[in-house]
Amino acid sequence: MTDRDELDPNQSATGQELEHPDEHYAGEATQRISKSQATIVWEQFRKHKAALVGGAILVVMYLCAAFAGFLAPYGINEYRRSPVAAFRPPTTVHWIDPETGRLTRPFVYDVREERDPVTRQRIYVEDTSVMYPIKFFVHRPSQPYKILGIFKTDVKLFGVDDPARIFLWGTNNLGKDVFSRVMFGGQVSLTIGILAVWVTLFLGLLMGGLAGFYGGFVDDLIMRLVEVIAAIPGLFLLIVLASLLRDPRNPIAQAIGLEMTSAQTFLMTVVVLGFVGWGGLARVIRGLILSARELDYAAAAKALGASETRVLWRHLLPSTASYVIVDLTLTIPGFILAETGLSFLGLGPSEVDTSSWGLLLRDATARGVSIQFVPWLLIPGIPIFLAVLCWNLLGDGLRDAFDPKKRR
Amino acid sequence: MLIFIVRRFIQMVPTFIGATMLAFLVSQLVPGDFLNRKALEPNVRPETIERMRSQFGLDKPIHVQYVRWMSNLVQGNLGQSFVSNQPVMARIARPMRNSMYLAITAIIMLWLVSIPAGVYSAVRQYSLGDQVVSVFAYFGLAIPNFFFAQVLILCLFLLRSFTRDNLGWNEMLLPVAGLTSSGFDRMTPWQQFKDMAVHLILPSFVVATSGMAGFTRVLRGQMVEYLGSDFIRTARAKGIGQRGVTYKHALRPAIIPFVAGIGGLLPSLVGGAGLVEVVMSYPGITPAFLDALNSQDIYVVLGLLVITTILLMVGNLISDLLLAAVDPRIRYG
Repeated sequence: MTDRDELDPNQSATGQELEHPDEHYAGEATQRISKSQATIVWEQFRKHKAALVGGAILVVMYLCAAFAGFLAPYGINEYRRSPVAAFRPPTTVHWIDPETGRLTRPFVYDVREERDPVTRQRIYVEDTSVMYPIKFFVHRPSQPYKILGIFKTDVKLFGVDDPARIFLWGTNNLGKDVFSRVMFGGQVSLTIGILAVWVTLFLGLLMGGLAGFYGGFVDDLIMRLVEVIAAIPGLFLLIVLASLLRDPRNPIAQAIGLEMTSAQTFLMTVVVLGFVGWGGLARVIRGLILSARELDYAAAAKALGASETRVLWRHLLPSTASYVIVDLTLTIPGFILAETGLSFLGLGPSEVDTSSWGLLLRDATARGVSIQFVPWLLIPGIPIFLAVLCWNLLGDGLRDAFDPKKRR
Repeated sequence: MLIFIVRRFIQMVPTFIGATMLAFLVSQLVPGDFLNRKALEPNVRPETIERMRSQFGLDKPIHVQYVRWMSNLVQGNLGQSFVSNQPVMARIARPMRNSMYLAITAIIMLWLVSIPAGVYSAVRQYSLGDQVVSVFAYFGLAIPNFFFAQVLILCLFLLRSFTRDNLGWNEMLLPVAGLTSSGFDRMTPWQQFKDMAVHLILPSFVVATSGMAGFTRVLRGQMVEYLGSDFIRTARAKGIGQRGVTYKHALRPAIIPFVAGIGGLLPSLVGGAGLVEVVMSYPGITPAFLDALNSQDIYVVLGLLVITTILLMVGNLISDLLLAAVDPRIRYG
């Protein structure tokens, strides 16, 4: 029996629904009178231009991460031993044919490494004897990858013939292509925030729910735990936990039998971020559930014979949904910043066969690197900035859309 | 009020014990320990290791170690550093002082910029200036501190090569690393002060930028709300001018949360600058913490965790008290 079935006899008794006594009509009637919550929120959200732009940019960024293997001309750790193309500046893409002086299909030159006779600085000279046109949809059998983890292929969006190489955003100290690594880095940096938010949501709902539902000793215990975690400065707690747990010799890893492969350090980072972040959410959920018994609609539902669990799941938790959605959307950028920060310290997902934007920025601080000669190593900071900005815009847009006081 | 303070203090005790237990437990997760590593050094005799082990109580079970460490802590003794063989207190005092310099400068910068910016954008809502402020706020919110520091350093280097090529100046406009120049010890106090001040500009600017975003946005929101309220209309009806209304009637209640927030600044005074210190090789608390962690100097790690935790808790208490003091609507009983 649904709520509506229980209500129907009353409505029929008032004489309003004699023609259509079925519950289908009741649904239609409410729709005719007012729009659903989702429709209102969506209409409000669409008026929020900044949030729409932010959302659109995020969609593009996540698509780039999903199709990183296709967009990146080189593999994540691919580099050539001889000659090592270390600290190559971004490759110049030429559009004008030097012979005819006309616009032509884009091409690049091979680059030779030389030493500046005066300063002994490494300089790169283009070898203009041969033009290497940029080819599209090239096959690179040495670098197979899986689209979305399913379809195996080796088609790359673009590439050039050997021996020339195309480094759109230069190379790092080992001669790895920064552009390719930024594309792959998005896979880690963009997903880690979303995954960690699920950990936060799970822990927050569970702990907050338990505390509010059972009260008493359980409540005290959980709330003291929240306070204890909040009492230790977040950055230091993150650093300690991350640096301990990523060591394969730590007791927890030994107990479960983890070897701390890249995938496992990735998950470990997710758990650490989620663990440090769940306290605030748990507090709010607990408060909402505690105040629930005072609310009229909860009392009404109970008077209609609903069980305590049903009141909790059907009436109380849904009422927190808009708060939770907005809060979590605004938590994601914080997690992205935290992950890039940890990776920047070398405490994030391991370097072996993953990449992360924070890890890429770490290249710029490597020993013997002075940033003024290799400014392109800072490019990975731009996607971090964009992602965090857009998540914030999106979250603010959602908050305004959910807020009845800000309806436009 | 006194009862409230006492009650809050009593409430803080279990939280503090819990936090120290968590910190201690986590530090025990360190795989291997400093002495195991030291035992591998060829010139260290096994007896020395055993002596140090019993001296630090590392041969005892973990709860005994905790009780021992805790009783020392209550007496103000944070233990000995394994690495430098000096008391932890002595080892962490300097980084904490340095971080405090950085945070104080940053907070002053933050207030000087954010309050006028917040007031302006609330009074001139949706004007060009307001939009510029809000764009900058988002910028400060979204840019990672360490990346911003790197970009600024790059800009200063580029500026130097520009002035060198065009004007013949081969000097950096601002120092980009550390807190002091070489030869600091031989300077007069005034020169020392100037030297440190110049070194502080860049890192504190970076730290302040990230704080400005939230601060300005919240202040603007508060101001807008108060400017639209009834008592402001009453004030205007009495004939009070725009200035008086803005600064005397709207800003005062709007600024309350920030006055209360001073207490929250206490922990950020020592721990807030974080990764900026790492990028700019600033001799502050975060690099010290990372060093201690790398060399498995657990008592230094624990000491830093505990001190910052104490500061955080005391800061929260001060916040609550200040809030009660400045806001007549709040009374604790």
